[in-house]
Amino acid sequence: MAEPDVTAARGWRRRERRLTVGLLSAPLLWLLIFFVVPVVYVAAYSVGAIELFPTDAGVVSLDDWRRFLTGGSVYMSLFWKSIRISLTVSVGVVLLSYPVGYFLALCVKKRKYVLLLLIIAPFLTSYLLRVLAWKVILGDQGVINSFLFWTNVRSPDDPITWLLYSQFTVMLVLAYIWIPFVALPIFVSLDNLDRSFLEAASDLGASRWRAFVRITLPLSLPGVFAAFLFVFIPTIGEFVTPLLVGGTSGYLYGNAITDLFTRGLDWQTGSVLALFLLLVIAAVMAIFGRFVQVRSVAG
Amino acid sequence: MTDELDRMLARRLGRRDFLRTTGVLGTAAWLAACSRADPGPGAGGNPTTRPAIEEEPGGLQVFDWSGYGNGDFYPKEERKFLWGDYKKATGDTPSFVLFENDDAAYTKAAAGSAEFDVVHPCGYKYRDWVDLEAVQPWDTSLIPNFSQLNPKLTQSGVVDGQQYFLPMDWGFIAPLINADHVEPQEESFGILFDDRYEGKISWVDTSNMMYIAGLYLGVADPFDMSDEELAEARDFLISKKGLVKFLWNQSFDFWLSFKKEEVWIGYAWPDTVGYADAAGMNYRYMEPKEGRVSWVCGLGMAADTQNYHHAHEYADSWASTKAAEFLLGYYYYGHTNTEADLSVVSPGVVEALGLDDPTVLDPPRSIPESYIPRRDVYQQYWSEVLAA
Repeated sequence: MAEPDVTAARGWRRRERRLTVGLLSAPLLWLLIFFVVPVVYVAAYSVGAIELFPTDAGVVSLDDWRRFLTGGSVYMSLFWKSIRISLTVSVGVVLLSYPVGYFLALCVKKRKYVLLLLIIAPFLTSYLLRVLAWKVILGDQGVINSFLFWTNVRSPDDPITWLLYSQFTVMLVLAYIWIPFVALPIFVSLDNLDRSFLEAASDLGASRWRAFVRITLPLSLPGVFAAFLFVFIPTIGEFVTPLLVGGTSGYLYGNAITDLFTRGLDWQTGSVLALFLLLVIAAVMAIFGRFVQVRSVAG
Repeated sequence: MTDELDRMLARRLGRRDFLRTTGVLGTAAWLAACSRADPGPGAGGNPTTRPAIEEEPGGLQVFDWSGYGNGDFYPKEERKFLWGDYKKATGDTPSFVLFENDDAAYTKAAAGSAEFDVVHPCGYKYRDWVDLEAVQPWDTSLIPNFSQLNPKLTQSGVVDGQQYFLPMDWGFIAPLINADHVEPQEESFGILFDDRYEGKISWVDTSNMMYIAGLYLGVADPFDMSDEELAEARDFLISKKGLVKFLWNQSFDFWLSFKKEEVWIGYAWPDTVGYADAAGMNYRYMEPKEGRVSWVCGLGMAADTQNYHHAHEYADSWASTKAAEFLLGYYYYGHTNTEADLSVVSPGVVEALGLDDPTVLDPPRSIPESYIPRRDVYQQYWSEVLAA
């Protein structure tokens, strides 16, 4: 009797393995073609192994890597500038979004998903339109300055000029753009919270603040980390927002990569910068990955 | 496979070499599909053996700036005036692939990510396109309107003794000022760096600012500056960067800001001059003592085009007086067609741009925008200005 059972189990495992391979092969092939191969390509460009322009006459070398990593070019300082702006935006947005997520998940009883939809609604419109709308609001004759003129707080000859085309503008617009991405994982992690912990804390005499610090906050941290990553990673390489509203001081690492691949005609340095960014992001993901559990933020 | 890898490590590879190598590693089939076909010079075949226009596939692909026929700005007029004659002659409707600036166009072509029959770069990039072996010479006998083009300007499209480009549209780079608010101390590019107008100045967001600074600082050749000269221009621009309200990427963005008087001074093309004139603004398009920088852009034909005769018909359409009058009347750009009727633009614009003055493009009033051999180095210094 035991022999047929073993054979059947083996056959079942074989079928399962085939099914797994079948299901995985398409996405793996996709990943290979559209991620791994392009990355290999970029890596080859970064050491000058591929010739693109007729003027590209040289040898395979790590000079561009060395110059970049040793600070021999302007790009490393630009990278740190982007990190600083990205960190400021990410932390700021998480701090702003947490109370919103908390309110929706734990305070609102009815129509919480309608309210959540309202928060996410701006995300459903064009990215470019949302950025450009800020030019209308922040310009010298924009909504804010016009209001200040109307209330005689400022003279029309003396508008607040730093509202637009500054690092402040870049951070403000990025924060606005990414808030829906941040609010969502925080909301999900708080909504999944086991309320019995809070009831137990209350029964044992803990204040609401103490319950928040000891229970709610620690249990929602995976969502907070996920939210932080959702903003931090894409904003390091951001180039559209700085281009549109950054002015002379908003130039970031992402803009440098774009310029090197287009106007700069220097794909080798551009590839060094792009690959370095990829490696940094991979490292950040690896570090934060242990704090983030997909299940905790995916509902 | 080992041989392939050894070869790869031993020397730099062309794109096709790299594709072959990666093919050995198992992905060549896919990569080859994405690669640029290597046209080689004269791949279009000898003119005498080329198929007649009826035998060509048609579906002409034009690699061009936005608003030059694709209908982005004036849908009906662009089609009617720039390639209406082409459509009438061939029955074909061209399709458009767009680029945002000359360097981006050249990069896309070099990377093989843009298929085209006709391309429209500006003069300072002609040499690059020829060296890339991406274009072939025109047969001007197939372009009846060629005889109407200004011979001095068409000469600028000759590279290595052959008419690789057909110069069509031209214009200037010079400071535009709001004369109600700005009182220049002299006619000079220095107005772009004038401390009195902090926050009211706009520069262009390209490394062209390096040669503008070089011009102002009096370097020998602003289009081929040495490292020391570039460093000086960079430091100068960094010291003046605080005066700038914003850097423009689209000329129209500058115009909007100029019209709202958010800025009073800017690096400008003729289109902004025309808009300011039409809006009745009190403006002045400077003739700086360093000379206005003049640019001329022209049509090139792909080396591997299967639409040789279609391309010539398209160029002929572009060389017509109606195309010239469209560019003048709608974009305020000059055209190499000498028979265009200047009354399509206001006398104010004709005067500001010197459209009726045959010497307006001659040195020292005007300096032709030239080939920049070390464009990548200019970009590196410009990045340092932006990052500072």
